[in-house]
Amino acid sequence: MDVSQYLEIFLDETNEHLQNLNTQILSLEQEPDNMDTINEIFRAAHSLKGMAGTMGYKRMQNLTHDMENVFSEVRNGNITVKASMIDVLFQCLDALEEYTTNIRENADEGTNDNEPLIKELNLILNGDSDDDDDTAAEAAEEEAAAPVSTVDAGDKKWLEIKLGDSEQSVLKEAAKQGKGIYGLTVKVQEACILKAARAFLVFKAVEETSEIISSSPAAQDIEDEKFDLDFSLIIVSDASLEQVLTAARSVSEIEEVNGDVLDLAHLDGPAQTAVKEEAPKKEQETKPAEVTAPAPAQAAAPAAKPQAKGKKKADEKKAPANKPVVNRTVRVDIEKLDTLMNLVSELIIAKNSLVSASAASGTSSAAVNEQIEYLESTTTSLHESVMKVRMVPIESTVSKFPRMVRDLQKTLGKKMELYMSGEETELDRTVVDEIGDPLMHLLRNSADHGLESAELRKERGKPEVGSIFLEAYQDGNNVVIEVRDDGNGIDTEAVRNKAIEKGIITPEQAENMSEKDSIDLLFHAGFSTAKVVSDVSGRGVGLDVVKSKIEALSGEVEVKSKLGEGSSWIIRLPLTLAIIQALMVDIGNEKYAISLGSIQTIEDISPNDVKLVEAKEVIQIRDIVIPLVRLNIILDIESKKDPNENLVVVVVKKGDKMAGLVVDELIGQQEIVIKSLGKYINKCKIISGATVLGDGEVALILDANTLI
Amino acid sequence: MEELKVVGETTQFIVIKLGDEQYGIDIKYIDNIVRMQHITRVPKVDNYLKGVINLRGEVIPVMSIRIKMGLEPDVETKSTRIIILKLEQHSTIGVIVDEVKEVVTLENDQIEKMAYDAKEEMKSFLCGIGKCDGGLISLLDLNSVVENI
Repeated sequence: MDVSQYLEIFLDETNEHLQNLNTQILSLEQEPDNMDTINEIFRAAHSLKGMAGTMGYKRMQNLTHDMENVFSEVRNGNITVKASMIDVLFQCLDALEEYTTNIRENADEGTNDNEPLIKELNLILNGDSDDDDDTAAEAAEEEAAAPVSTVDAGDKKWLEIKLGDSEQSVLKEAAKQGKGIYGLTVKVQEACILKAARAFLVFKAVEETSEIISSSPAAQDIEDEKFDLDFSLIIVSDASLEQVLTAARSVSEIEEVNGDVLDLAHLDGPAQTAVKEEAPKKEQETKPAEVTAPAPAQAAAPAAKPQAKGKKKADEKKAPANKPVVNRTVRVDIEKLDTLMNLVSELIIAKNSLVSASAASGTSSAAVNEQIEYLESTTTSLHESVMKVRMVPIESTVSKFPRMVRDLQKTLGKKMELYMSGEETELDRTVVDEIGDPLMHLLRNSADHGLESAELRKERGKPEVGSIFLEAYQDGNNVVIEVRDDGNGIDTEAVRNKAIEKGIITPEQAENMSEKDSIDLLFHAGFSTAKVVSDVSGRGVGLDVVKSKIEALSGEVEVKSKLGEGSSWIIRLPLTLAIIQALMVDIGNEKYAISLGSIQTIEDISPNDVKLVEAKEVIQIRDIVIPLVRLNIILDIESKKDPNENLVVVVVKKGDKMAGLVVDELIGQQEIVIKSLGKYINKCKIISGATVLGDGEVALILDANTLI
Repeated sequence: MEELKVVGETTQFIVIKLGDEQYGIDIKYIDNIVRMQHITRVPKVDNYLKGVINLRGEVIPVMSIRIKMGLEPDVETKSTRIIILKLEQHSTIGVIVDEVKEVVTLENDQIEKMAYDAKEEMKSFLCGIGKCDGGLISLLDLNSVVENI
């Protein structure tokens, strides 16, 4: 067997453990005495060590081993948690992350030994406690294992392994050579999903020091996951029993490993006879049942037999009932979901075709209409279900930010606190993966440019510790993520001066610029107001990248700022990317779709109500002045409408801004599937895509955001 | 089109007509040939991009070779076709041709590479001339046809 097939699981789990460690160490910093946190950290470090070890990543194993030692001392109360220690631990996590990245990219952990880190870890250990760290750690491990090693007979299933003549002779030979012969029973956690993989890792861990003579069930069955929750091994080893047990326990998701020295006398003794006695019965039983049978060693006593049999039956019944609990979630390749999504899209197009075909052929009886409506509601819920499957909470992305802000605090020498809310808000998987970088950039931006130094904050009567907020929530068909700080706000004057200096605008332009336009300058490529290029931000690539990234996800960014009070960056992302509800409109006999999400109202306006402001057409609706956009002019088509007729105006909204789009006629609301226009046609910003209508024609989708 | 240099090899071309001239398109780039259908105009794009069509649920852009090569604009007739091309480094695109005539197989020695002539404007769209049954076929260099879109 080869470990590469478990590489994916290893990487996934390592990431989970690292994430967990990050969070836990952060909370440890807040409450250094919380025993739960310390235990959790210890467990995560321990699992990491075991996983790295079994996969053969020695450097990673060494580092985690030393980390584990530190945690173990903390757990035993020999070391108290200090700020310096937390720093070192975070550096270790970074190093581990580096290993993981290397492994992901080249299936190799790299050559960085991280000696200085290991030295520092040992310093922590030696500085505050006795120097026998290794034994201390081992002792701790044994302690942890102690409660479970008070084994009852049911855990000694290895005693019932049947040994053939050849195996017995091997054992006897080994015994003569002075090697240890042990029996092990390994119990996998009930929640474990890939039992076979775990078992394999245990095999591999054990095989490093020992030779496996026999196993129950057979190795092939274990590999095929044909066992319940435990399996037993008979091994011959040069190492001590303790070493073997530790190696086996280091595999994650292993609940317990019990073992003992196998007395060769057993082979001919009562256990062997027990096996012999049970043999005929066992042959009648199916193989998996044999595995679950917790036949204790004492089964030799004939009186115990019926009881054992009864237990077996109970276990047999229990096994299938347990299974679904374990397999409630499935990991699915995102590509498969994409295919599914495409198929749903096709189905919706087909449904639309059916609707228009039945309308055209005039066969639309009540029965047909009823069925079409039923089909419509089914496809809509099908679409919603598939969308839901693709949704993941943004938590996976934002959970790394508290750690980042903590680091920034050190590098920038400012005091700050990050408050997050709405981590459970769900977004499409692809969006969640992509949104991390822009958010990180905005947070860094707030920390570096937004928040003032502690002295200045004091002067201004603000609390010394700056606050940064990251809030996510759903708003209609959008998800809004807001990054806010209570810092200095944006100095629009400075922004304009900088823009003039950089030659982005002329001084004349600057004079007439509104606050909003000035802020928008920040998104101009190559704009960075930081006077000194710092490690944190101000590397030239900046907010323009944030903006383009978010726009690529069909989202938008809005900035609100008040000088001296802080600024907030509002990111608005659509919930769905592929299928939307749209209003179909007619402009000069061409059909266009406008996303229903951006439409505010539809108005019927008399041509006399159109006023001119600065030579631009505006209308006034309920005391709000809204600029008019003549779509036929923008789209270079001749309007088919009499200019004296009333105008049909679709009022669209983007953030606070509104615009009235003038169309010839409304066609109706429709569920449309967004198709890309491809890279040949990407110069046209106002068209965000195309869709295939029921009659097979292609209609373009107008991006209302670009028209405002 | 490196394979043109290999001696003894043959290449299949689909012969199309634009006006009176015959052009050849290497068959390996052709995904499909469809009848002329309604093309949805896309505003604010170069004039040779005629718009987009629906090809079995996919939205595919369509361009006019005539306009791109500086010929008279297309006149739609019964024999007008859209050839759907799939080029390696580009995505799928349709081109409008006046007529699709036949498939010919040309030996490499029947293909004459274009003589370099800086004054000739058309040259950049061709990669060679094929001689077949006494007629001449201008072989289109598709990469330069769809270039700069």
